[in-house]
Amino acid sequence: MYRVVTEHPQLLPLFPRFNLKLGFGEKSVEEVCEDYHVNADFFLEIAKAYLDDLYVPAEGLSLFSLTTMVNYIASTHKYYTEIALPGVEEKIHSLLDHSSLSKKEIALVRGFFNDYKKDFLAHISEEEQHILPYILELERQSALKRADPEFIQKLKSYTIREFEKEHDRLETSLKHLSTLIIKYLPPFDDLQLCHQVLNDLSALVRDLVDHANMEDKVLVPRVAELEEKLLNTSFPG
Amino acid sequence: MKKSGFILVIDSYLVRKGMVSLLNHLQGISILQEFHNTESLASYLLKQSVDFIIISQSLFKASADLFISDPALLEKIVLLKDGDSGKKKEGESASQVHASIHLSEEKEKIVGKIQALLDQGKFKNRDLAPAELSPRETTIVRLVSMGLTNRQIADNLFLSAHTVMTHRKNISSKLGIKSVSGLTVYAIVNNIITIEEVTSLPAE
Repeated sequence: MYRVVTEHPQLLPLFPRFNLKLGFGEKSVEEVCEDYHVNADFFLEIAKAYLDDLYVPAEGLSLFSLTTMVNYIASTHKYYTEIALPGVEEKIHSLLDHSSLSKKEIALVRGFFNDYKKDFLAHISEEEQHILPYILELERQSALKRADPEFIQKLKSYTIREFEKEHDRLETSLKHLSTLIIKYLPPFDDLQLCHQVLNDLSALVRDLVDHANMEDKVLVPRVAELEEKLLNTSFPG
Repeated sequence: MKKSGFILVIDSYLVRKGMVSLLNHLQGISILQEFHNTESLASYLLKQSVDFIIISQSLFKASADLFISDPALLEKIVLLKDGDSGKKKEGESASQVHASIHLSEEKEKIVGKIQALLDQGKFKNRDLAPAELSPRETTIVRLVSMGLTNRQIADNLFLSAHTVMTHRKNISSKLGIKSVSGLTVYAIVNNIITIEEVTSLPAE
């Protein structure tokens, strides 16, 4: 595990999502995962996808239950709302507080970030309250011999593909914010903090791209497949 | 100046590395990715915007259906030909590609061709307002960023308030941006408005 981390430090944000902690001595990936009750294959699939945008883990991840995936997505949300977003927010505010920007420019950046945060949290809350529970219920119903007719009725009016249509790409706005800082705002005095903000933003953008890929390319197709199966077995022919 | 993004899709290791070395000597080029086959090319192109694709003839033929259906993509293709240059027997699709380079060509000729591509590119993407918004919509984004209300925009453009609302809705759904602050920053980073022209303080 030591080599994984030293060679790919960009994987560190994944650790809290799996409740993995440092200080693992000479243990291998498998041993560390075992200590923390994490499926090592699942961790590795997620890590590979995280490192390589082009790696579509659809096949590898189809081995794992939707529940496992939903749990991972929920802990990623938690990472965003509790760590990543507040972290970059604090840095942006501190950067603005100690800058020589005009009032207007400061208000623009603050207003932009506040609105972004609202959108972001609304998006996550929609997933947490409706989409993820729906997926869990879908998997539960599929495992039953005879699915609940009420659920089947619901299934006919709503499918995951609707959700996919609404799936905003949250990373674009963050890229706009970086561009604004790099190209259009007057330079900040605190260069180090400014660089940290830009680094945080670009790390968050990459994370969000990975997250959206996971949802759109892995989760949604599998849920759609399950929906279809369930509808077909409930209404054969 | 904005660099032009190239990707190389070349099966031969030596040719690919040779091309990389040549491109690295030129200004204004960034090599985004190298591929030795076309396996992950389609998914890459979905995610990443590129300006030019240098691709060997055989790989181009093998993945022709990826390109033929998409004229915008064809325009980015620079075909790397290795066959007999005497016989000008090109496939139909090949005649629509942007440019071609033959393996037997000398350095100066290849550099000249690439330079010509870059010059054309300069006129094409000047970082102006993206094509996704209509001119009318772009105007409205500009006025919104200047702090005008829908009513004021309507008066300004001799439109009904209802029409302005419709435009606003279309803009939001096209860009996925709803808030005024979001549109303002969008307008700045897309050169629709300068930061000096932004007059209003977005509502807190």
